[in-house]
Amino acid sequence: MSDEDRPVTDEAGTSSRRRFLGGALGVAGAVATGGAGFALGELSARSPAEAAVPNRVPMYGQHQAGIATPAQDRLVFAAFDVTAADKQAVAMLLGSWAAAAAQLTNGLPVGGAVDPDRPPLDTGEAEGLAPARLTITVGFGPSLFDDRFGLAARRPAALAELPAMPGDALDPARTGGDLGVQACSDDPQVAFHVVRNFARLARGTAALRWLQLGFGRTATTSKSQSTPRNLMGFKDGTRNVKAEDAQALADHVWVGKGADQPWMAGGSYAVVRRIRMLIESWDTDSLSDQERIFGRTKDAGAPLTGKAEFDPPDLAAKDATGAPVIDPRAHIRLAAPETNDGAKLLRRGYSYTDGVDPATNLLDAGLFFIAYQKDPRHQFVPIQTRLGRSDDLNEYIRHTGSAVFAMPPGLSGPGDWYGKPLFS
Amino acid sequence: MPLPSVRRLVVAATALAVAGGLSACGSDSDTNSGSAGPASSAASDPHALSVTVSAASGCTPDKTTLAAGAITIKVTNKDATGVSEIELLGGERIIGEKENLPPGFSGDFTVEVEAGTYTLYCPGAQPEKTTLTVTGAASTSAADTSTSALLDKGTKQWGEYVETQVGYLVEGAQTLATALKGTDLAAAQTAYKKSRVYYERIEPVAESFASGKQDLDADIDAREGDVPAAEWRGFHRIEKGLFADKKLAGLSKFGDELVTNTTKLKTLTTGLSYKPFELANGAQELLDEVSASKITGEEERYSHIDLLDVQGNVEGAEQAFADLQPGLAKIDPALASSVSTQFAALNALVDKYRSKTEPSGFKLYSELTNTDRKALAAAVKAVQEPLSRVASKVTH
Repeated sequence: MSDEDRPVTDEAGTSSRRRFLGGALGVAGAVATGGAGFALGELSARSPAEAAVPNRVPMYGQHQAGIATPAQDRLVFAAFDVTAADKQAVAMLLGSWAAAAAQLTNGLPVGGAVDPDRPPLDTGEAEGLAPARLTITVGFGPSLFDDRFGLAARRPAALAELPAMPGDALDPARTGGDLGVQACSDDPQVAFHVVRNFARLARGTAALRWLQLGFGRTATTSKSQSTPRNLMGFKDGTRNVKAEDAQALADHVWVGKGADQPWMAGGSYAVVRRIRMLIESWDTDSLSDQERIFGRTKDAGAPLTGKAEFDPPDLAAKDATGAPVIDPRAHIRLAAPETNDGAKLLRRGYSYTDGVDPATNLLDAGLFFIAYQKDPRHQFVPIQTRLGRSDDLNEYIRHTGSAVFAMPPGLSGPGDWYGKPLFS
Repeated sequence: MPLPSVRRLVVAATALAVAGGLSACGSDSDTNSGSAGPASSAASDPHALSVTVSAASGCTPDKTTLAAGAITIKVTNKDATGVSEIELLGGERIIGEKENLPPGFSGDFTVEVEAGTYTLYCPGAQPEKTTLTVTGAASTSAADTSTSALLDKGTKQWGEYVETQVGYLVEGAQTLATALKGTDLAAAQTAYKKSRVYYERIEPVAESFASGKQDLDADIDAREGDVPAAEWRGFHRIEKGLFADKKLAGLSKFGDELVTNTTKLKTLTTGLSYKPFELANGAQELLDEVSASKITGEEERYSHIDLLDVQGNVEGAEQAFADLQPGLAKIDPALASSVSTQFAALNALVDKYRSKTEPSGFKLYSELTNTDRKALAAAVKAVQEPLSRVASKVTH
């Protein structure tokens, strides 16, 4: 091992790796020209690596990062099955994941010894890459609360298996999982690196069940972002819950203190759905029909009752013939809070493609839908039941994968780990 | 023919480790944050060391002087996300260690130390090394159980195992060659299935003799397409004749060559000595064989007896590990027991597919579902991950 590889002590007395730190300081220095005092002031509070790495999203806090964080451009989502029979092994895994997450979100490798006689602890492909706003969000599926680990009495009522819903065409190999990991970053290699290393840390304790890459965000979770388009070419999710709206987050996203399971206070539930779009068929539908199905114009994304994207849709408006301007079966009507007793979701989906369907040679592509919420039984399930029954979009989509995870609250700091109060 | 069971060797090795006074200390626990300081009750015990690992202070022992004999080292990782293990070094050699210790958890390990100077090494911590002094004399246990003597003995056992397997391999090849000269296709197929496993148990040893144009492994075990068609010979050429073409004609010369080449292997391996890390790497290579070509069903693409090969690879890997285990248990009992536990789980899974009616002793691989194959792949990886750390432990 050369000296460059050795952890070194910097001025603030905390360890870092010279190569990473050197690169990071270069960037931070450029940004903070004329303001060196600012950087040093920050250093005393947090580790210098944390303060120096550009585009870093803090990992610790009341809520897990990756939910109300402005949506990054790339996603890797993985579900794991626990293969170990021992509850302590699962706890150790979650501890190892928490430690690895702290390293990775700071642009550092998975920690530990570098010994030429054994495989490196970090797989290495993210060496030299900035975290690019990396967030890692970890959760528990309903199946983790079966009779294997004695957790049944700690299962929140809201963590129910999703019922069968109209329009389901679920592939068991893309459905469910004991543990869920969402890695989001603006750099796809950084996000992949997380799941690869988590899978490696899990060997002997948990095995990958399914994995989904998302190549482009389809949601905006902050007012600082513009609404991206889905693969149907439409702006979808204009009325999403935004990070700046603390009241909406409290009302619709974060589990409150009065929840049936105290360990979930500050957490949220993720419903993920792999929604394949039959885009070749969609591409043959007329523009006016496409707009009727969504209830929005394709170019501006304005509701058919308005002119600009953020004009609120007027669901009661009628045209000259007395027919509703926004079709009774239009997507935005059926998904609107007004139609769903005020229920909203924080959507955080990504476009995906898994290449070509071998049976048809048509594109296997669509939306990997992710929605965070307080209680799927009162949010996702009734909304999707309504959509699955009536939405004219159903002709062009198939729900091919599904899972629900309880995402526990954020970690307080190093030494805390995912689900610590649940396992103790 | 009956073979010495590898399971028996593993049991014997475990018994030895326990008799040697080594606690198999797999005790890990999560700790409440904030109460991670050294336990005060043990502070005065010269045979107990409590170490706290933290981001701010690195690796901090509660004392730096200990008494010779058995020492229990309790380690608590308070909040150091970049540190996951701690080692006790005597010179450059690892005396004992605790791995996989994320922040919020604690664990312990036990070592036997004589008087002298030792280093507590927490890779990645700041500071990462602390010097410990051990005084007095240990109440001596059996002298011949020193780590290097145990490892040495293990490599000799492996050498004997390899010689035994290669002996059976030559016999199996001879039986197969004879059958290929006859007219009974079914008998030849059975002879093929019965001859395979001996090679699969020791394949990395054969692979180590590849040099230049000489490649004994290819001559014995190349699959179709691995080598130019004109040079293709060995087991799988015979397999194709017996199971795809279903004809004995033309196979006789391949049988004779197989006898020649396996006999050559026997000559090369007789009296060969091995180093401990070679056993660790050999075990890993055997499991790589399982991952790379058996799980996919590519190895025995005509006869579908891949599960027998899997069992052979696993048994050979487990044998190599069992030979290292008594020495490794002195260095890192938790790692030794982790590999051993995962081998047991893998064996249990492979045993599920035993068949009384198949000549290979196992279900045909083509009968396995994708779920079966996934479970097998995960169980192999579960052994490989801890096993990949063994070579570095037994090197010094």
